[in-house]
Amino acid sequence: MATGFLTDTTVCIGCKACEVACKQWNQLPADGYEFTGDSYDNTKQLSGSTWRHVAFIENPKKRRLTGDVDLVALAEDVTEQLPGGAELDALGRWAFMSDVCKHCVEAPCQQACPTGSIIRNEFDNVYIQPDICNGCGYCVPACPYGVITQVPEDGRAFKCTLCYDRQRDGLEPACAKACPTNSIMFGDVEDLKELAEQRVAELHNKGYTQAYVYGTPEVGGTGGIGGNHSKFILMDEPETYNLPKHPFLPQEKFRGGVIASAVAATVLGAVVAWAFKD
Amino acid sequence: MSEEAVSGQQRNGRPKTSHHPETDPERKDKNYYGIPPIKHAHWTWQIPIYFWIGGLGAGAHMFSTVAQLLGHEDEALQRASRYTVLVTMILSPILLIWDLGRPERFLNMMRVLKLRSPMSVQSWSLLVFGNLAGLLAARQAAKDGLLGRDNVLARLAVRLIPDRLLSVLALPVGLNVGSNTGNLLSATSVPMWARNWLFMGPVFLASGLSTALSWLSLVLNLTRSGEAKTLRVLHRAERATILVEAVLIVASLARMGRWSKPLFSREVVPLFVGGTLIGAILAPFALLTGRESRGKSIIASLLALVGGLMFRFAMIRGGRISADDPEAYFTFASGESAPQPEDAV
Ligand code: SF4
Ligand code: SF4
Repeated sequence: MATGFLTDTTVCIGCKACEVACKQWNQLPADGYEFTGDSYDNTKQLSGSTWRHVAFIENPKKRRLTGDVDLVALAEDVTEQLPGGAELDALGRWAFMSDVCKHCVEAPCQQACPTGSIIRNEFDNVYIQPDICNGCGYCVPACPYGVITQVPEDGRAFKCTLCYDRQRDGLEPACAKACPTNSIMFGDVEDLKELAEQRVAELHNKGYTQAYVYGTPEVGGTGGIGGNHSKFILMDEPETYNLPKHPFLPQEKFRGGVIASAVAATVLGAVVAWAFKD
Repeated sequence: MSEEAVSGQQRNGRPKTSHHPETDPERKDKNYYGIPPIKHAHWTWQIPIYFWIGGLGAGAHMFSTVAQLLGHEDEALQRASRYTVLVTMILSPILLIWDLGRPERFLNMMRVLKLRSPMSVQSWSLLVFGNLAGLLAARQAAKDGLLGRDNVLARLAVRLIPDRLLSVLALPVGLNVGSNTGNLLSATSVPMWARNWLFMGPVFLASGLSTALSWLSLVLNLTRSGEAKTLRVLHRAERATILVEAVLIVASLARMGRWSKPLFSREVVPLFVGGTLIGAILAPFALLTGRESRGKSIIASLLALVGGLMFRFAMIRGGRISADDPEAYFTFASGESAPQPEDAV
């Protein structure tokens, strides 16, 4: 059975419980006290020590909020009637998204790894064996989603294990367990796929026609990656969530590069041989 | 829109309140507060230097093997080439292991052979080529009397190590060491590298051969050894290789298109235009055409060698800038430009 996540960003309230639960269960170190000044999100991104990251995306009605802004007036001024009777004030709305390793079907990081440290485990999750990784770091630029990262203090690469240890004990991953809104769902990928389609259909019915599933072979899991076992329901363009619309499997062209190099080697050999001619 | 705003590196230094990009009318790009969507490689100086000496070793072996096969037996050339390859193949693993996060686990590279992982292919190629080069150098050393004159072992080495056979066997592996440095970069998600998958291996190979030819002629010039013909051939081959390299660099730039921008950024432009285009291509080519002189040849060699190193630094630094630029990655990974499985090789 292949397990995975379905992260429904439409119900996420940005509480960051998943981030904390993940850090706690996996005993990940703190990332330091960084203040971005950009939003309430000071985690910024996924890394070797942050395996769940909740992005805070502000949508303040395409209005530039700098200088003298009367926030109270903006908050009282209802500008938009949302489907289902909800109202949106001029301060706009927030979108939250709990990002995580996509557990790609054809995982670029796994293909890149020269030691064979990255494997697919019995739950069909992409798993780094920490006792084998030698910290070459080649998986890092291979990941099309910027997930996997080398931890400088440790030397090795780390990322979400999909709570391999918990799964083996029959538990769901810590983030899914902690999520109070069930934005993070865990289970069999086939079930989750159905669930995602139902949910998107439901959202479309309610009038939110922009909702879609990210992590399919059509969006997000493209270019030879074959989809992701960890999918998302998104309401905006992927780039808004710092995700690529059309990523690709970087190793796809390696064979082509080798053939081109062989041709080049032959040409250069001929050039050198020509130089010997008197 | 300033570079810093996009790179996400100095966002804290930006005076403007930064809401979501959409709210800032000056910013049309969509991304998450300018934070890079992919992570750059951590590689520091060891990797570009390794790329440089690896290419040099591969090129030197190629030249001496072609000379051998064409029946051009020049002892000085063979000697210079054998020892050069040996030294590069000793330094390469040292640099690579140095760069690992867990150097003591370097042997894990030999745990599996994965043809789909360019890094695995590189490790194995280095192992095979390094060992063959070691055998060839051992034979050379025995012949040169470095292992003692009347040593049984030395005589056995000369007798038992099949020079020509091993050279030919090592040739494709060595060439792969040279070109795979480029393919290794292109098999990542970094737009500038990935976009150029077709020419990345060839351009690194050509540049490696150019540095190798320069190195060999430098050694022969400085030690005043080798036949006159060898030097003549080296110069001619150098000129031709520089031409091939120039064509490949132009082709690479054309293929990279808008994603070649990092090569012309303030940080990389001295390395790329100054170091590579002028230092490794134009200047040595100019020096090698026209009347030949020993002085001119030595300067040309030095320029091409340093230029080759600059080229590798330019490619690595440029790749880092490319990976840190959300706009570059998102335009690249948005559809048409991304490599597709159904693309022809
Ligand atoms: S998202 Fe990145 S780290 Fe996760 S499986 Fe895919 S390539 Fe590997
Ligand atoms: S850093 Fe570790 S997991 Fe990543 S490619 Fe290297 S050996 Fe594999």
